[in-house]
Amino acid sequence: MSDPSSINGGTAVAMVGKDCIAIASDLRLGNQSLGLANNFEKVFQFGDKTFMALTGLASDVITLKETFRLKNNLYNLREEREIEPQTLANLVSSTLYEKRFGPYFIGPIVAGLDSKTSKPFICGFDLIGCIDFAKDFIVSGTATDQLYGMCESLYEPNLEPEDLFETISQALLNAVDRDALSGWGAVVYIVTKDKVVKRTLRTRQD
Amino acid sequence: MNSTVASEYSSEVHSTPIEHRFNPYSDNGGTVLGIAGEDFAVLAGDTRQVVGYSINSRYEPKIFNVGDDIVMTANGFAADGAALIDKFKNQLKWYKFDHNGKKLSIKSAARYIQHLLYGKRFFPYYVSTLIAGLDEEGKGAVYSYDPVGSYEKEQCRAGGAAASLIMPFLDNQVNFKNQYVPGTDGKEKRPLRYLSLDEVLQLVKDAFSSATERHIQVGDGLEIFIVTKEGVRVEYYPLKRD
Amino acid sequence: MPGLSFDNYQRNHFLTTRGYGQPTATSTGTTIVGCKFKGGVVIAADTRATAGPIVADKNCEKLHRLAPKIWCAGAGTAADTEMVTQLIASNLELHSLHQNSQPRVITALTMLKQHLFKYQGHLGAYLIVAGVDPTGAHLLSVQAHGSTDIGQYQSLGSGSLAAMAVLESHWVPDMSKEDAMKLCADAIESGIWNDLGSGSNVDLCVMEVGKDAELYRNHLTPNVRSEKARSYKFARGTTAVLRESIRDILDVEETVITFGSASVDAMEVDA
Repeated sequence: MSDPSSINGGTAVAMVGKDCIAIASDLRLGNQSLGLANNFEKVFQFGDKTFMALTGLASDVITLKETFRLKNNLYNLREEREIEPQTLANLVSSTLYEKRFGPYFIGPIVAGLDSKTSKPFICGFDLIGCIDFAKDFIVSGTATDQLYGMCESLYEPNLEPEDLFETISQALLNAVDRDALSGWGAVVYIVTKDKVVKRTLRTRQD
Repeated sequence: MNSTVASEYSSEVHSTPIEHRFNPYSDNGGTVLGIAGEDFAVLAGDTRQVVGYSINSRYEPKIFNVGDDIVMTANGFAADGAALIDKFKNQLKWYKFDHNGKKLSIKSAARYIQHLLYGKRFFPYYVSTLIAGLDEEGKGAVYSYDPVGSYEKEQCRAGGAAASLIMPFLDNQVNFKNQYVPGTDGKEKRPLRYLSLDEVLQLVKDAFSSATERHIQVGDGLEIFIVTKEGVRVEYYPLKRD
Repeated sequence: MPGLSFDNYQRNHFLTTRGYGQPTATSTGTTIVGCKFKGGVVIAADTRATAGPIVADKNCEKLHRLAPKIWCAGAGTAADTEMVTQLIASNLELHSLHQNSQPRVITALTMLKQHLFKYQGHLGAYLIVAGVDPTGAHLLSVQAHGSTDIGQYQSLGSGSLAAMAVLESHWVPDMSKEDAMKLCADAIESGIWNDLGSGSNVDLCVMEVGKDAELYRNHLTPNVRSEKARSYKFARGTTAVLRESIRDILDVEETVITFGSASVDAMEVDA
């Protein structure tokens, strides 16, 4: 609790399905146990099919969101193309490790589809940029333990987009309900080859 | 104006001072879970006992049939857990001597355990305690406690190292939390129903195999105590040993 | 700006003085080993990464390539082992280009120890460095503070005692390649079963004099999860949705049709 990355609360999760990915976060922003806002989205878009979720200290979440927006825009101008999820992952890693001895208190997740092959890609990071490549799911935030329990039991590979939506939503919802610092609404993005669907979920408000 | 800031490296906090004090507690890991059904109750726990990064034992039972069709576990600091259960078993014997072999109801057992725990309010048993059995109507009952005796009767409860991993899963799969009837636009909750023993055993096995995947202190074996009106039955399933 | 940035250092130090602790970085709790054999060297590692008592990655890669025939196994802070290894791999390639010769294991080790010593142990990297170069096969190790060791067999990480127990009881001089691989895999397995910080699979890398290095990713997989008792697929529509917005991504194709050649010059527009 007395750790900068659990002052504001918040949680995110990403999953791989059949030719699709899903990435979701809660909407709470708090100051310790006091809820401040219920519209604090933690999932950000970088190009058509590349997404990043940022949990942790809210000031660092915003700082890094803007840092990566800048870096992404520079990349787009220089390369005249959109950034691939793989590339963004390495960008995140080196950006975080640059601050090895004065880190940002965040736990990022990168998820997306490769623009050419449409192959799903997800990965997570610790606060100093160690990449966790996973084939199934990545979790982050104050409800990390709860999400590991949910995902490990609910997840199965090769879910269709609609089934993946139910699985990631149920995993997130039930996890945040057992975390005092997360909740207050949730958003889920389902990314397929030709469609990005964003859904706002109905959740408990306590 | 001075634009640089003085270095604070010299005042860096290097480490906390070494405490020269006896520490009576340790953490022996492990996790337990109890679910109450319509006419049965189960209490399950892994059989691994750890300290730090080492495994003390791959089979150290921590759930016990304490008599009168009540099963009990006290997970956390193993020595306290064993002491608490020994004390309860012993007191149950005295209860029978004093009351002509009368059967102790789970309700009374639950209240008595509260007193055992609160009796050490200022030097607590470092455990999360669970008991399971059948209530006076023959329905499944699970009682759960905090370390100093605050308790509650519940449908299900996870305790110990991986409690935070298992509990939301139980909310979702036993009490159908966050689930709605499809086509009702999220207006109608999925109706509650009692789970069969087979369904409960499936949930327990999957809860533990999942916890084993993600928690280093959970593994080796799963022991499930099942209480029905026929009595207490034990089942054992292996878990991953890494 | 090159190098590390200390911008947040004072802020974080202030937070520390206000009673906020440090979050836990993922560490490779880890068992890593290395063993020499007749004409080469083999290193091996488990594949579990932990954050406290939670398994963060069940199948991470702890065997890093420093040069085509020099590999190292890393224990300690996961990000440090990864980054220090990438940095030295890069410098080693520049160095070998400059020298116009194959990189040497001792060069890699020296670069690592000088780098780590410079950081006074704050980079939590504990590495077993092995490889073949023009001077033969080598097995070395380096610790976070910069001290180094040489040996016929070595182990590092939280499972190093479990692994060393196996190495000490079964190692013999001048083993065959197959025996050395078996010994290393057994030593890692000992860590996987008996050390809680280690788990999942065995990765292995063999470097033989006069041959390309061979990486055996997931050489052993003794911890495959067995089938679950049931599926937890939900009926579609189980979750309550408040709002939905859909963004269709379309491929736009453009075909340019040119008319009679007379007006081509007039029609030309800058790209």
